[in-house]
Amino acid sequence: MKRRTIFKSLAGVAALSPATMAQTPAGSNAPTPDDVFKIDLTTADAVADPRHKFLTPQQYATLARLCDLLGPAYNGKPSAKQAEAPQFLDFLLAQSPADRQMLYAQGLDQLDIDARSRRGKGFADLSDAEAGELMAPLRAKWTWKAPTEPLARFLRAAKLDVLRATLNSKVYAEAGAGSRRAAGVNTYWDVVE
Amino acid sequence: MRQDYDVVIIGSGAAGGMAAYVLCKAGVKCLMLEAGPMLDMQRHRSFKAVYDLPYRGFNKPGRFPHITQASEFDANLWIDEKANPYSYPENDPYYWVRIRMVGGKTLRWGRASWRLSDFEFKCKDHDGFGENWPLGLEDLARFYDRVEPLFRVSGRNEGWPQMPDGKITLDESRDSTSIQRFKAAAAKLGVPTTKPRRATGTLASSVNLLLPEALATGNLTIVPNAIVREIGMDAATGRVNAVHFLDRRNKREYSVPAKVLMLGASTLESTRLMFNSRSRLFPNGLGNSSGVLGHYLFDQFYVKNTVVAIVPEARGGKGDRTLMGGAGYIPRFRNLKGKEKNFIRGYAYDFGSGGTPSPELLPAYGGEMMKMMDELQGAAFSMTTMGEGLPRYENKVSIHPTLKDDWGIPCLHIEQTYTENEFNMAKDAMETGAAACEGAGFEVLAKHSEMVPPGESIHEVGTCRMGADPKKSVLNGWNQAHDVKNLFVLDGSAFVSGGAQNPTLTILALTMRASEYLIDQKKKGQI
Repeated sequence: MKRRTIFKSLAGVAALSPATMAQTPAGSNAPTPDDVFKIDLTTADAVADPRHKFLTPQQYATLARLCDLLGPAYNGKPSAKQAEAPQFLDFLLAQSPADRQMLYAQGLDQLDIDARSRRGKGFADLSDAEAGELMAPLRAKWTWKAPTEPLARFLRAAKLDVLRATLNSKVYAEAGAGSRRAAGVNTYWDVVE
Repeated sequence: MRQDYDVVIIGSGAAGGMAAYVLCKAGVKCLMLEAGPMLDMQRHRSFKAVYDLPYRGFNKPGRFPHITQASEFDANLWIDEKANPYSYPENDPYYWVRIRMVGGKTLRWGRASWRLSDFEFKCKDHDGFGENWPLGLEDLARFYDRVEPLFRVSGRNEGWPQMPDGKITLDESRDSTSIQRFKAAAAKLGVPTTKPRRATGTLASSVNLLLPEALATGNLTIVPNAIVREIGMDAATGRVNAVHFLDRRNKREYSVPAKVLMLGASTLESTRLMFNSRSRLFPNGLGNSSGVLGHYLFDQFYVKNTVVAIVPEARGGKGDRTLMGGAGYIPRFRNLKGKEKNFIRGYAYDFGSGGTPSPELLPAYGGEMMKMMDELQGAAFSMTTMGEGLPRYENKVSIHPTLKDDWGIPCLHIEQTYTENEFNMAKDAMETGAAACEGAGFEVLAKHSEMVPPGESIHEVGTCRMGADPKKSVLNGWNQAHDVKNLFVLDGSAFVSGGAQNPTLTILALTMRASEYLIDQKKKGQI
């Protein structure tokens, strides 16, 4: 028997319950205990700010600036900042394997150290042109093997992560006129117990 | 009173599914034990937006260190690597990709369906390396003939000896201009091209093409969540007599008598089970008097996107469907008439036109990169290499001395590395692919010859190989254990060599052949 049929059967049995009949005002649209329920919900992201979990305030500020540079608003589509990519990546890093955490922590620290030594101010305060000098590895020709230099390796990873965190965000999907493709709609498989 | 079964089948994927399909239709009562649960296509599947997933499509960090194919959408289909661990040497990672569900990996296979040729079956005759199979294309062709229509395989018959023709639906679709140009350029280099050859339909799996017909006979009983721990032996007869398994969910232990055992748990799981079924008669693993069990592990090495090129005329959104789109295949073309390169055997390619190159390939970031991506949208042409890995004795699996899975079953230690032969092949593939793209007038954006780790292609085969000589092999030419006449091992573990072709079609054909052999032997009272 299909689930829907079972449900109908159960509903039918319940409808005969004297207690149920007694509690349902005749002719009213008031819900009964046997109604199918559909409750509208929202996500935590929509109502609250996520707490920072992994990066230090300094590292977070550097990441936020990096997100500005890697994911600016483009062609009417939201930026990485609007997509809350820095907050999301901080959350993701908090749960990531140690080598990934180290790549980010050291990479962000290195960007800031290099900025201070070259420009006398933190990476978060650099202009686009000033920051561009430090991001030169991203203008290098692609190689399959990751660069050996740690900062270049970090920048390569961050470039893809920031882009993905932006493209996969709800604000980005909404900017795509609500099309399925823009929302990255796909078949999701539940846990099979 | 419990049913008395003629045959116990372990596994429900390509091998187990085909065994049930053939045997049950012939009136043989079968019990199928599947380690995983049954997937309910209605209950377990829904549409979701990527932003609604808990990790925004990134997947839970660290959940799948070895399954690069797993996305956050289908993560629940793949095996839990923590509950099902394995090991490998520290500097030689092996990516063991598994699905434990009714239907096995046929729920997720790529569906490329190429026959092996006598360049594989008689490989030793061609170049002196390894061993020949104990059968040839002539022996298997009539089974391929029946499997291909069952799986609605579509493609082209070209009459090439390295790519045997099949009983397939002919693909008469017209190639886009970019594909035509590529084919012409490849031909100038002596590189043959054809259409992809694939099982068609939305799923093409054991669960919809094999198991329903087997069940319809009334002769098949399937038990999901049955993790087989050990195969029991009768020391007096030297035959398998029982299968011992646990319920995946509560670890309750069971035993079921087995008159005949058809083992199709997947290449490495079958070998693991045979190792875990040691007895006084077979102290080194079930049916392993040869000592070959576990050895000669190999696969196809993959070089993903070995060449990514741009079709210049498609820049700026001009790549309409006349110019761009479509896909193709290049079968092995190296070393068909003697050794012509610094390697033996050969490789194949998949190629495709259309799509946008990955942003990681572009030497830019931010707005500049996005502008580039806009410019290159739909203008990409890419090639992936699938190369033949050589079966070597030293590439092997064994039982780890201490590591056990969540059910207390000893786990595998897997050792496989590639050698100069594979590395040289990959370099040749990169250069040849790039030359063909350039010949077609495409701009090569990136090329490389770095192969993915062994195992990642999910084409692992060998470790329980067939052979005419019982001293050099575990199985005879009918997938039957030399040492144990009522044991058949049906999956990719039986392979002697693999070519560059995807193995599933051959597993299906070999299983059909072995199952019909079993029916014949039973009729004759030989088993």
